[in-house]
Amino acid sequence: MARTVGWVVAVLPLVAGAVLAWLGQTGRLPGERYDVGALPGDWALAAGGAVTAVAVLVLLVATVRDRRWGRRLRDRTAEAAQDRRLLLSRLDHELKNPLTAMRAATANVAAGSDPAQAAAVRTIEEQVLRLSRLTTDLRKIADIESARLDRRPVDLADLIEEMVDVARDLPGAAERELALDLPRAPWPLPPVPGDADLLSLAVANLLDNALKYTPPGGRVEVRAREAAGSVVVEVADTGQGIAPDELPQVWEEMYRSPSARAVPGSGLGLPLVRAVVERHGGHVTADSRVGEGTVVRLSLPV
Amino acid sequence: MPSILLVDDETAITDNLAPFLVRAGFEVVVAGDGDAALARIADSAPSLVVLDVLMPGRDGRSVLREVRQGGGTVPIILLTQIGESGERAMALEEGADDYLNKPFDPHELVARIRAVLRRGTPPAGRSLTAAQRLRSGSLVLDRTSQRVFRDDAEVVLTPRATTLLAFLMSHPGETVSRERLLEEVWGWSFHTSTRTVDTRVAELRRVVEVDSADPQLVVTVPGEGYRFVGTVEAG
Repeated sequence: MARTVGWVVAVLPLVAGAVLAWLGQTGRLPGERYDVGALPGDWALAAGGAVTAVAVLVLLVATVRDRRWGRRLRDRTAEAAQDRRLLLSRLDHELKNPLTAMRAATANVAAGSDPAQAAAVRTIEEQVLRLSRLTTDLRKIADIESARLDRRPVDLADLIEEMVDVARDLPGAAERELALDLPRAPWPLPPVPGDADLLSLAVANLLDNALKYTPPGGRVEVRAREAAGSVVVEVADTGQGIAPDELPQVWEEMYRSPSARAVPGSGLGLPLVRAVVERHGGHVTADSRVGEGTVVRLSLPV
Repeated sequence: MPSILLVDDETAITDNLAPFLVRAGFEVVVAGDGDAALARIADSAPSLVVLDVLMPGRDGRSVLREVRQGGGTVPIILLTQIGESGERAMALEEGADDYLNKPFDPHELVARIRAVLRRGTPPAGRSLTAAQRLRSGSLVLDRTSQRVFRDDAEVVLTPRATTLLAFLMSHPGETVSRERLLEEVWGWSFHTSTRTVDTRVAELRRVVEVDSADPQLVVTVPGEGYRFVGTVEAG
């Protein structure tokens, strides 16, 4: 509709001109000739003006179109995210009853005297448990995206120190160097409005990952600094690294790099971190080099 | 022998859960839908009902409402599908005594059934999980306003610590694991950092205990979790 109106408006001056010309030829307009004369400089000015007018018009149209496309893209992205959430919640829902039945069924199977049979029952129990955890954790990520935040000023320095302490007790932490660098001068980190428990969960997950993917003898560094209205927390490691083409996908639910298959995990740690940080109005980024290591950055608005 | 009415429309679940509960020492009656559940509650007077929420026709919440509106005080454990805290809060407000998210460990269900049966039916007919106010000696927690009073003076707790106290007070005498507290109070079940629970319990003790180094209300059960040891009454 808008496009048709546009074309009509565009053609209108030509039609008006044609009508006036026809009126002139048939003698219905005053007959004297109009002679327009001007200096070459004035012609140049007029021509320049006309070209600029056309160019400005084209740019205006392009701007309007860009805006419209931007809006459409945002709508599509939001729709896609909504669809994904819906799919996950339906999948979660459809898996719950079968998993409940399977857990009850395996609990009824008496481990007989046959060791092979006992091993089989144990395997089924463990795998059903693993599936149960997976559906629960997927659900939790969706919950974080929509849950109400218990928001209050959080001292990130305290929180990080505590999580690093917890990480030092993790299996394998003793064989890796774990360094912490928090600013004290000229001033310490400002408090960040947020949910301390969720933020701890995010930091704990990053530390967990860094230790998991760093070989014994490697180094993990945790840093935080204030930058342009945000606090940036970095967890860096000298681990196996992530290939550049896989880097964007590590934030997706259940993505597991082929080279990370040997390390146990659900592929839900980083998506969870992202959900927590984005819920706080912040954003996450990662840089990595294969064979050298990875750094994950959380930026949280102050 | 306590009798349990097990209500779920999925026969795959009832077929396996019923024998499990029988071996755990309960008498079990099964109902496959909401209307059958109401009929069994009326004619077989079970000691406790394990009730699935999502069922075709009359669902679990409708059964729960019907029973409570008719003045029925039979303890009810809801089997919820939806892990959202809003849904859980609603279940408790409508008078459920406990709830368990599917998929659950059948041993956990037995533990919950035993805990609810041990709690008994409060004389006022209102279970602790549904009460507006919880009182233990001089400690009072008002659920509606999320405020805590000690010796009639208000004490300041973070919202999470208040929810934690409310949960512990509505399960007096029960040992609750850190993992379960994480799931119930924080709403997540990730295995990392159960220390979060310890931090909040420490905050709670500083405020509600006379001597936080020698806790008399919220005690640690080594290797298991925490337990609220005071007597709790509703109102």
